[in-house]
Amino acid sequence: MFTRRQFVAGSLATVMTPLLKGCSQPQSEPPRWEQGAYRKSEQSKVAILKATSYDNSLKDIILRAINLFPLDIKGKTIILKPNLVEYDPAGVINTHPAVIAATIDALRSLDAREVIVAEGPGHRRDNEYLLTASGLHAVLQEYRAQYVDLDNDDAQAIPVNSYFTGFPRFYFPETVLKADLLVSLPKLKTHHWAGVTLSMKNLFGLIPSAIYGWPKNILHWAGIPNSIVDINSALSIPRFAIIDGIVGMEGNGPIQGQAKHCGVLIFGDDFAAVDATATRIMTLDPRKVDYLVFADRFFGNILEENVLQLGERIETVRQDFTVIPSFRHLKSIVS
Amino acid sequence: MVEQWVDLLLQNQNQDGGWGIVPGKHSHTEASAFALLALNSMKSPVLEQAVNKGLQWLGQQQNADGSWPLSSQVRETSWSTALAVLALTSFPPFYQHALQGAQWLLQQKGQTPGWRESLRYRWAPQTLPIQLNPHLEGWSWVPNSFSWVEPTSYALIALKKLRFSLPGSIVTERIRQGELLVYDRMCEEGGWNYGNPRVLGEKLPPYPDITAIALIALQEHMAVDANQLSLQALCQMLRQVRSGLTLGWSVLCFSLYGQNAAEYKAKITDSYVRTHFLNETKSIALAVLAFQDGSGAFRV
Repeated sequence: MFTRRQFVAGSLATVMTPLLKGCSQPQSEPPRWEQGAYRKSEQSKVAILKATSYDNSLKDIILRAINLFPLDIKGKTIILKPNLVEYDPAGVINTHPAVIAATIDALRSLDAREVIVAEGPGHRRDNEYLLTASGLHAVLQEYRAQYVDLDNDDAQAIPVNSYFTGFPRFYFPETVLKADLLVSLPKLKTHHWAGVTLSMKNLFGLIPSAIYGWPKNILHWAGIPNSIVDINSALSIPRFAIIDGIVGMEGNGPIQGQAKHCGVLIFGDDFAAVDATATRIMTLDPRKVDYLVFADRFFGNILEENVLQLGERIETVRQDFTVIPSFRHLKSIVS
Repeated sequence: MVEQWVDLLLQNQNQDGGWGIVPGKHSHTEASAFALLALNSMKSPVLEQAVNKGLQWLGQQQNADGSWPLSSQVRETSWSTALAVLALTSFPPFYQHALQGAQWLLQQKGQTPGWRESLRYRWAPQTLPIQLNPHLEGWSWVPNSFSWVEPTSYALIALKKLRFSLPGSIVTERIRQGELLVYDRMCEEGGWNYGNPRVLGEKLPPYPDITAIALIALQEHMAVDANQLSLQALCQMLRQVRSGLTLGWSVLCFSLYGQNAAEYKAKITDSYVRTHFLNETKSIALAVLAFQDGSGAFRV
């Protein structure tokens, strides 16, 4: 899976922690993805809906949003992948349980066959603690929903169809591979290694830590943007994103940042487009986020002219998210 | 309650003899190692058949090089080798398997990040986002990658249990390096998380389960200030955390450190009533070990 040579190359090219690798490549270089990996459409749709608090209105908001997209829910097995990387009683690290509850409720009302909540926490191995402390366990009990620990699920190796990390394949949990639809449910957050962490970065949680380690450091060594792109590209199941931007995190995210009220949920089936819109809402420039730039080349749209914005306009919901100094360059525009 | 947990382990044993992480999953080296230790701690002839079946599965899984794969499905060599070794040291007929696994562990070294980082650590550590001593070699989750606290702790316990059957100078040096690495990764107020006490200048908090595991790995140094500080940190953390996994590890740790753990045993029962430990084999097994004083399996 990971050779000594790859590791040594990584160690010489990076410091002890992940650094962003350059996103541009000379035109003379061979393409970094297979032809079949190209799934970029001419235009993508993203919906921004106001949601001022974690109250009972969330289900209706989610249903309104789903109706804006050609999503086939009836009879489907659906995986909800929240962000549950860590727990801090004073922090806003994770997708709020109310958003997860409302999504379960909404999908069931559309006759989903099964809704499974699944996560592979990147730091903690104590799932019982994470679930009970975060409030997710209570939601699972109330809705009698199944939870799958993706870090330890049965897994299958899937060949990559892009070559940013140099990994020939990724192991994915069977629960995810067998599903009909994957719903990425991240929190709207800044990230101290990647700039922002949204629906694409959230898929790190699909990668089993039992194989890749806690934290999933192998992915960091291969370059976080590279790993995000290869993981998102390799996975072929239909997907949808719902970003919990009601209260996001600014500053030193994804763990130690500060809460930032933003009052929105952001929806879409092109993760790159959803994440680009979310980044703009944070008053950051998606064209300077490496993995979004990579994604824009072959499987998503990040340019405003290629994204049909539904619901609220970005300008009406935008909030000024602070970033750590190494990501100040993300703040320098916003078109 | 212990009988109920043992029944669960018996019910959840796969046809092939191993245990999945939760019922219905492929047999998994880590889950099987803990289940075997738990059943063995009952010292009951009634359980002999299940234990033998489990041992056969674990023995058969061992690769020719001495390592174990993660599971019957994911065959790549794995960090869980240390747990298989640790478990099999409790079963004399499988001693040679354990020894072969320990020899494989001795060949494994977490990689260091390279000369540039070494120089920066030596001359300008404040410029590093994570200030870990890059010269120390422990054990990694994935072969040929960076060392972390939990796999290093498992390897330390396994090697310490077998140290007198292994090449003396090599095992002594690896244990010394591994211990230094664990101490290097300790959080400033005591305790451990996965292995980063600080990132970008910000302190990161310890986790109770990893703290207990690391303390078990460092049990011969229980009088050392760092151990005592971490023991206090563990008690502090346990005021907030009431999961079977964490409490199980903690009771084993307290037992090895000669401390009374009665109040935590009661909390394990409460936790089971609340969550059924999410049906996780390892948590069920740790609960059995906690109640049966199975700490002997981890004593070095």
